[in-house]
Amino acid sequence: MKVNSDRYERMKKTGSIHYAMEIKKNLAEITDDFPDNPENMEYFYKRFEEYTTGNLHEGKKVIASMCVHVPLELIYATGATPVRICAGAYATDQIGAEFLPAKTCPMVKSTLGAVYLDILPGNIKPELIVNPTTCDQKKKMGEIAEEIDKPFFTLEVPPTKDSEEARQYWNRVVKKFVKKLEQTTGTKLTRRRLKKAIKTVAKAQAVYRRFDHLRRKAPVIYGKDAILVTNSYFFDDIESWTEHVEKLNKELEERIEQQKTIGKANSPRILLTGSPTIFPNMKLPLLIEQLGGIVVTEEFCSTSRMIWDTVAVDEWFLYDMVPAVADRYLKPSTCPNFTPNTDRERKLLRDIKEFQVDGVIYQTFTGCQLYDMESRRIGKILEENGIQTLYIESDYNPDDFGQLTTRLEAFLDSLKNKK
Amino acid sequence: MQKKLKFKRYIDNSNVSRFRFWIQIISFFIFVYGGYFFIEIASRLPIFSCPYVQGSPGGCYLIGIQHELNTTWSSLWGFRGIAILTSLATFLVFFIFLNKAWCGFVCPLGTLQDWITKLRKFFGFSFTRYDEMSFKRLKSIKYILLVLLILIPLGIRNTFFGIPLPHGMHTPFCQICPARIILPLFTGDTSQIFIDFTDTTTIIMTSLGMMSAAIFLVGSFVKKRFFCFFCPMSALQFIFSKISLLRMTKDGDKCTRCGNCYRVCDVGIREIADDIISKNIVKDDCMLCAKCVEACPEDDCLKISFAGIPLFNASQEGFFKRYGQTDLNELNELNKQKNESK
Repeated sequence: MKVNSDRYERMKKTGSIHYAMEIKKNLAEITDDFPDNPENMEYFYKRFEEYTTGNLHEGKKVIASMCVHVPLELIYATGATPVRICAGAYATDQIGAEFLPAKTCPMVKSTLGAVYLDILPGNIKPELIVNPTTCDQKKKMGEIAEEIDKPFFTLEVPPTKDSEEARQYWNRVVKKFVKKLEQTTGTKLTRRRLKKAIKTVAKAQAVYRRFDHLRRKAPVIYGKDAILVTNSYFFDDIESWTEHVEKLNKELEERIEQQKTIGKANSPRILLTGSPTIFPNMKLPLLIEQLGGIVVTEEFCSTSRMIWDTVAVDEWFLYDMVPAVADRYLKPSTCPNFTPNTDRERKLLRDIKEFQVDGVIYQTFTGCQLYDMESRRIGKILEENGIQTLYIESDYNPDDFGQLTTRLEAFLDSLKNKK
Repeated sequence: MQKKLKFKRYIDNSNVSRFRFWIQIISFFIFVYGGYFFIEIASRLPIFSCPYVQGSPGGCYLIGIQHELNTTWSSLWGFRGIAILTSLATFLVFFIFLNKAWCGFVCPLGTLQDWITKLRKFFGFSFTRYDEMSFKRLKSIKYILLVLLILIPLGIRNTFFGIPLPHGMHTPFCQICPARIILPLFTGDTSQIFIDFTDTTTIIMTSLGMMSAAIFLVGSFVKKRFFCFFCPMSALQFIFSKISLLRMTKDGDKCTRCGNCYRVCDVGIREIADDIISKNIVKDDCMLCAKCVEACPEDDCLKISFAGIPLFNASQEGFFKRYGQTDLNELNELNKQKNESK
């Protein structure tokens, strides 16, 4: 399809309108259907309100990223700002469907649609779109995007992370990525800048970990809000994000002290995992919480997996800092693209224990092979540990609302009866 | 998060590497110059407290064991045997308290290598690491050296398989040990830098010693703790490591396998990151320097304890204190200064 044709213009116009409507509808549900939202959530709601209209990172060079394997520290250190563009909108999902087979994962379709129509968070104009090879669909999407002249860069992620060979391969890939970044931004990576970037991200991580621990302590924030907090890490200015999560943390601490908790004593505590929930595709967490459950934690690449892990450097020189950053984006990842991926099982079991989870809801997007294939093994392990699991296959289409409600209601009821 | 005692929290947030740096300086001073101040510790120490150093306040157990084993089979069953056992007991009495931390905190040769690393960092040169295959292959050298340093002295008096060993092979390890040549230099004693031309054996052994000293200096400049990887003392310590009171344990359930600990490990032990089953995580190359515990961001995942009393636990708060926020303040100040100077 030719860019700049009449049809393209029309598509872009309607696409943007639909996108904006989706955001509005979802935000309204998030804010209005629940009483007593934390005051400091206002900032995050606002970030999403401006999602299609705002002018994010104006005057700065922006590097768009996908997945959790793009080393953000390196982007910051070359003077650019990273923005993750993995999309959750049904509006652009339909556009992407024009390029990809019908049974492709909606996240991939939606992202390609958004890239094609240039409806990116805060209307950024990325210099480069970094596409890690974390699944076959993403790889092919990259090829298509290059055909329509989008500045894609393939970041080769190894298929395993346990072997020393994979680690060395990844280290080289990251070194190549540094070169590409330097070329694109025209800024050289220096020791001082990278150190500063690592510290800046570490600060955000420290604040996020505090947020995560507060969620363990007592139910003071709904999962739908927590997902917005982590989702806004995709595109927000990192310092501003850190500052506002810190403020939110303070408010939540106060709420814990005043015992201002959400839900009821017998509200089932739910862990969400599987294909990532990305705003505005909030139907699953929203439905769960509208039906009386509480999403206490999520094991998604759009949430904790993205922020939790840290960089440790032994010698603060480029020769050690770059591999240290590279390691952080490979070793702790629980992405199902890696084989074996036992770390994900262990992480889930750990989270279930620490968050006192009653039931797990496993979301798989239609066409998302990797999460689908892992679901059986994970389900079995959870069953062995006495945890009830509900497997849900869904996509960005809001049509399955009725069917989802019935299934979720039954699941949540059975959990409530157990309590 | 569980409530921690204020004191414990202070320790877990502390910078052990800095503490270790000062302990190393103090113990280097004691074990190289202590003799001049009439400090007398003991012989049979589990470190290279080298008797060839004039100021040495003690002795290395390896030299003791080599001397004692230079004896006939029959005398092993007499008083000689008892002497061997008592000196082993002396070694263990010292060893049991610090486990392999003797290497990381006390051994003067280890300290020297850390200083050479500091020198390399000053020049901004990168370090090297063995790849996995070489690591596995070279790992066994320290055990081979240990076996040899036990068998050769025995072989001098009791020919094995009819192979005669010359008397010049007594204390064979000391003759090739870099500590014998390098540590005396710190007291201004250069007398160990020589090749003994008495006979062929002494020529060979002293030349090997000179070579190992040279390799030591170059090796530890390019690789952190280069020599420790081949040290027979390290092998001997590891045999008794399990009975020591100082322990490092890992809770595999808490580990995310992020690899931070492996990254900062001076000797490159992979198991510290990848092994999620073993509880006791002290490996033969470990020197209990606690850098891994410092780099671990998961609460109580890695622990160092003494006789069951937790000393230093990995903690999230401590990690960010060491790696994140405190330095961020420094950075902000740096930026401020930069802006002001503009």
